[in-house]
Amino acid sequence: MTEQEFTHFYNNNIDKVFRFIYFRVDKIEIAQDLTAQAFLKCWQTDNNSKSVIKNPQAFIYRVARNQIIDFYRQKNKTPISLEELKEKGIEIPQKSFVFKIELSFEMESLKKALQRIKPAYSEAIIWHYVDDLSTKEIAQILNKNENNIRVLLHRSLEALKKEINREV
Amino acid sequence: MPEKELIEQLKQLQEVKPNKNWANWLLSNILTKSHQEGMIKPRVKLVSFSFIHQYQKALVSAAFVVLFVSTFAFAQTTLPGNPLYPVKTLTQTARLFLTPKDYKSVVRLQIAKTRLEDMAKMTDQEQAIALMSQNIQKDLQTIPQELKNIQKKQVSLKIAKQVQNEAKDLNNIISKTQLQFQDKEALEKTAQDTQSQVLSLIIETTEEMNQCPSYLQDKLANLQKYFTDNVQTLIQWPIDDITKVRTLLADISNDIKAGNCLESLEKMESINQILQIHSLDIKVETSTPEN
Repeated sequence: MTEQEFTHFYNNNIDKVFRFIYFRVDKIEIAQDLTAQAFLKCWQTDNNSKSVIKNPQAFIYRVARNQIIDFYRQKNKTPISLEELKEKGIEIPQKSFVFKIELSFEMESLKKALQRIKPAYSEAIIWHYVDDLSTKEIAQILNKNENNIRVLLHRSLEALKKEINREV
Repeated sequence: MPEKELIEQLKQLQEVKPNKNWANWLLSNILTKSHQEGMIKPRVKLVSFSFIHQYQKALVSAAFVVLFVSTFAFAQTTLPGNPLYPVKTLTQTARLFLTPKDYKSVVRLQIAKTRLEDMAKMTDQEQAIALMSQNIQKDLQTIPQELKNIQKKQVSLKIAKQVQNEAKDLNNIISKTQLQFQDKEALEKTAQDTQSQVLSLIIETTEEMNQCPSYLQDKLANLQKYFTDNVQTLIQWPIDDITKVRTLLADISNDIKAGNCLESLEKMESINQILQIHSLDIKVETSTPEN
């Protein structure tokens, strides 16, 4: 992937990947860090490995999922230090990019509901209904066939509806 | 909540976006960092040696063939005592083995000459030289017998002349060797004996072939007379055999005129076989006369 191709890929996917991570970790700073690590890994892997990444979108979502899993594993141990981030290639800028995401009460409830259902269900819902990924694209990320994804989406939506109704 | 409304609400979550400045900073940070580390590799791969993997087996085989051939080629320049000299002798033995039976004597003499030349270049290996000398003597002694074993006289004469030609400088090479006086004398004697026997064989075969026409002409006349005198007997023969005998007699006559002694002898033998089949008490002497 050339710099130009990577820039194009980054601009098309930064919002989606950030959103995907943010809905799962619910903290902007952590979402920023994990998003940064995911894109850096994608760029490094593509440049360093002998084989070219065939499907960058599927690749970055897989990396993001693993980052989230690692994050929850390490959450109970120690938080990611600044030095550790630096070692991983993320330099924390002098000025802060911390910002707030303001959501309506309904949206905030929906986000909370998404975080309470099974991670596999919330992932499927975010990809398909929020970020408009097709069943084929989701199948490529999860290495499953499209029929499995359709079933997964159906169950996910049912689980989300149940969760919202339970809250109400 | 109806499913449609839920999906519409989910779409609204697209409003959640990262900070633009942060996103731009991150992109430039990733690209700048990769530049600093020289991480970016050329997209065009260096393919100059990529064929090595593709043709690995063929290249390995070719390398072995080159190594094998070059070892054999280099071995031909070695002298006794060199680790590769056995390869040279092995090549010579293989060459002798692969040569047609009639031509073995020529090749044997050529190999003996090569070994004599190797001997001439050796200085301080008396034992090895003596052993080589004995082997060369054996080879030289074998040559006349091999020539005598050749069936066809014409071929025998041709090869004997080649051997004679090859053996001309034999004494000259022997004289250059570092053999002790007695050994050298023995080797020279063997070489001379071989040359004499070959020369004798040439003279003998030539005489046989020169005598052949007059001898055969007599026998041909006898045969022709026999068939003329015994016409009644011949009437009982199948027509094919009579035709065959007539053709053979005409061919023998032509061969004698053309000097093809051996061919005419073979044809005379064929007539004898036909006569034996018909149980006629006659046999024409077809072997060459003894001197």
